[in-house]
Amino acid sequence: MAAFKAFWNSPVGPKTTHFWGPIANWGFVAAGLVDTQKPPEMISRNMTAAMCVYSGLFMRFAWMVQPRNYLLLVCHASNESVQLYQLSRWANAQGYLEKKEPEGQH
Amino acid sequence: MAASKIQALWNHPAGPKTIHFWAPTFKWGISIANVADFSKPPEKISYPQQVAVTCTGLIWSRYSTVITPKNWNLFSVNVVMAGTGIYQLARKTRHDHFSEVQVPGKE
Repeated sequence: MAAFKAFWNSPVGPKTTHFWGPIANWGFVAAGLVDTQKPPEMISRNMTAAMCVYSGLFMRFAWMVQPRNYLLLVCHASNESVQLYQLSRWANAQGYLEKKEPEGQH
Repeated sequence: MAASKIQALWNHPAGPKTIHFWAPTFKWGISIANVADFSKPPEKISYPQQVAVTCTGLIWSRYSTVITPKNWNLFSVNVVMAGTGIYQLARKTRHDHFSEVQVPGKE
């Protein structure tokens, strides 16, 4: 109970925007996870690559911002993973990850 | 005079020597990627992703005015991001629900 109260009244808790901003960003993670089940032709190279750089930078931002925001940090670490995975699916579908395929595309 | 203004910007707590500058600056990449995707066929747009882009943009526009330091760069990028998300959602919705002409026998 005490732990819940501490969370509820925290300066980065659910009564503040410092909580809901990161919650919104979990939407990217959820969307990414849903999209892993779709065919790789639907993956946007531009958007996925942009997400990878974006989440990398925002992990650092979450650490440095006042107040420090661990929820945001975890969110972007997760998004980084999902987006890198999606990028690898895209690359694989494009033939960039083929090994020892001299007569393949490219 | 101009030099000291530039100095003030350079040394700003949300200026180019800090992550508070580069993270939001890079976030423009998401909007740019989305604008580049405006020319993609609507079948390829992902509803979950664009809903995430839109909601994130809207909520973060608010967030950026209450963090320390206050971050107008972050504010503007999120406003634009929400805009691109809304446009993509409108494109896909219009395609999926308001242009049934080429689909015979489907009501």
